Amino acid sequence: MTGSRTAGTKVLIIGYGSPIRGDDAIGPLVADRLEREGVPYGVAVISRHILTAELVADLVEHDRVIFLDAAVDGPPGEVRCRQLAPDASAMSTMAHFLDPRELLAWCETLYGQVPETFLVSACGTSFDYANYSLTPDAEAAMEPMIERVRQLIAQPAPI
Amino acid sequence: MSRTLTIEPVTRIEGHARITLQLGDTGEVEDAKFHLTQFRGFEKFCEGRPYREMPALTARTCGICPVSHVIASNKACDHLLSVSIPPTGEKLRRIINLAQLTQSHALSFFHLSSPDLLLGWDADPATRNIFGVMRQDPALAKDGIRLRQIGQTIIETLGGKKIHPTWVVPGGVSEALTQEKRDAMLAMLPEGLDIAKRTYAFFKTLVPKFKDEASHFGNQPTMFLSLVTPKGNLEHYDGLLRIKDAQGRILEDMVPPHEYERLIGEAVEDFSYMKFPYYKPLGYPKGIYRVGPLARLNNVDACGTPYADVALAEFHMLQESGPIASSFHYHYARLVEIIYALEMMERLLKDPTILDARVRARARSNRYEGIGVSEAPRGILMHHYRIDDDGLVTWVNLIIATGHNNLAMNQSIRQVADAYVDGNNLQEGMLNRVEAVIRCFDPCLSCASHAFGEMPLAIELKDASGRVVDTLRRG
Repeated sequence: MTGSRTAGTKVLIIGYGSPIRGDDAIGPLVADRLEREGVPYGVAVISRHILTAELVADLVEHDRVIFLDAAVDGPPGEVRCRQLAPDASAMSTMAHFLDPRELLAWCETLYGQVPETFLVSACGTSFDYANYSLTPDAEAAMEPMIERVRQLIAQPAPI
Repeated sequence: MSRTLTIEPVTRIEGHARITLQLGDTGEVEDAKFHLTQFRGFEKFCEGRPYREMPALTARTCGICPVSHVIASNKACDHLLSVSIPPTGEKLRRIINLAQLTQSHALSFFHLSSPDLLLGWDADPATRNIFGVMRQDPALAKDGIRLRQIGQTIIETLGGKKIHPTWVVPGGVSEALTQEKRDAMLAMLPEGLDIAKRTYAFFKTLVPKFKDEASHFGNQPTMFLSLVTPKGNLEHYDGLLRIKDAQGRILEDMVPPHEYERLIGEAVEDFSYMKFPYYKPLGYPKGIYRVGPLARLNNVDACGTPYADVALAEFHMLQESGPIASSFHYHYARLVEIIYALEMMERLLKDPTILDARVRARARSNRYEGIGVSEAPRGILMHHYRIDDDGLVTWVNLIIATGHNNLAMNQSIRQVADAYVDGNNLQEGMLNRVEAVIRCFDPCLSCASHAFGEMPLAIELKDASGRVVDTLRRG
């Protein structure tokens, strides 16, 4: 899953969400499409149902990480991009799913380094169980998400 | 004035639960209960579905141990097909089952229990967490991440994805192993075994510090139930049922798993959605038994791999004689099993037949009833289905590993509460010990109770009329 580094920035894209809960699947679906369409050398793409602890080992191997997720707090289909920072207070009381900011806090505490990290999200409206399709709004958000991810991939490396 | 103390949810476990402690007039513990209060109903909504959907459906019971359900469910389907799966298909299933055990045990030890073990039960709860562990012992925390990564990577290499792989199918597995994948998995195992051995060596140095906890954390006479090989060795995929009593006498041995109903009854209580399995010949609740790593190591004559057998001998020395009684030593047993799993995966991957192309037997359903039994990380897991002429499921019974331990968990929290909880001087560390004894069992409540809910933590003190007189909140 880890791309080999050349002269460029080493980028990891992680789409996450449940594939059986409607719009929650948009993260992994966008990740899968990016992989199918092709990404530059040195860019790795993975899809996950949930974020788990061992991902920390992958994060610290990369200069830039782009998480892809669904959001619930905005106009349907709205695509947003924000930079994430480590936040240990985002800690889960359980251990089989983690917040991306907590994963970054693990990187910071354990390895003393944190990749430049972005969260690209699209607002969904339907998260029902046993729902295998995106709403039209979420479907329409896929292309802008991909475009935003490609911009982030092409962005110069952080100094 | 009697009071009820509630711990909800229990933290650092898989799933959601509540503990209530009933305190008497003088603050002593009069009763303790472990509640699973929400219901998911897999046994009911699977009715009417084609049996071939069962592995995918039941795997959704859990996001942390889906492989275990996939294995037990497919074994039940094998039984419906009346097929013997090709030997290489069976070996490949064994590998993914052991990879699941490795990552699950690693999560339990390194992430869920190490904050207590390294920082202490009375440490400030603001720092008694995984970040506290990272600061105290970063190398250990990194080892935990890497060991889990190795287990998950093997699951993904074989199954195609980490969380709900569909590679295991009725009759075997869907795809043979390639040499490239075999070599990639083999390359990771020496590092994993090094991590497991040094973690085990480190934990042995900690054990003497926990004499008090070992004495009170579910240190109780119960029977033990597990699968064993026909030779009586450690077994996680197939094998035969063995039950030992608290003195180590074998009560049942070499019982085919399909006869489980002869041994196991299931009771219900009105305070929990988790069932209360018991050993039928002794009745309920006298038929209390434990399953999982502690039970497996207590029951076997040997592990069958070099380092794990050395560790098994040391495990038996935790107590002068008889099966190890304290549930605290689930942690120890878990580390021994990680060593075993890594050694056994290497042995299986080096087997000269592991790349054989024939990995699946094909058939239609040939009987109306199928039973699949395997060892999940937390203990023995039973899937039992009945189908009609069209192959549609008419009845389902799932006995989940955590459920087998239900009586023992309830008894354990009572013992810990008796030893540590003073209702007149309530300290957070006391309550953490009550939670910690549950963590010894590493319960997966999503599976066992089919619970789903939110995670605020509130500890409420109520008087006899149910009036809240005090509240502690965490998180």
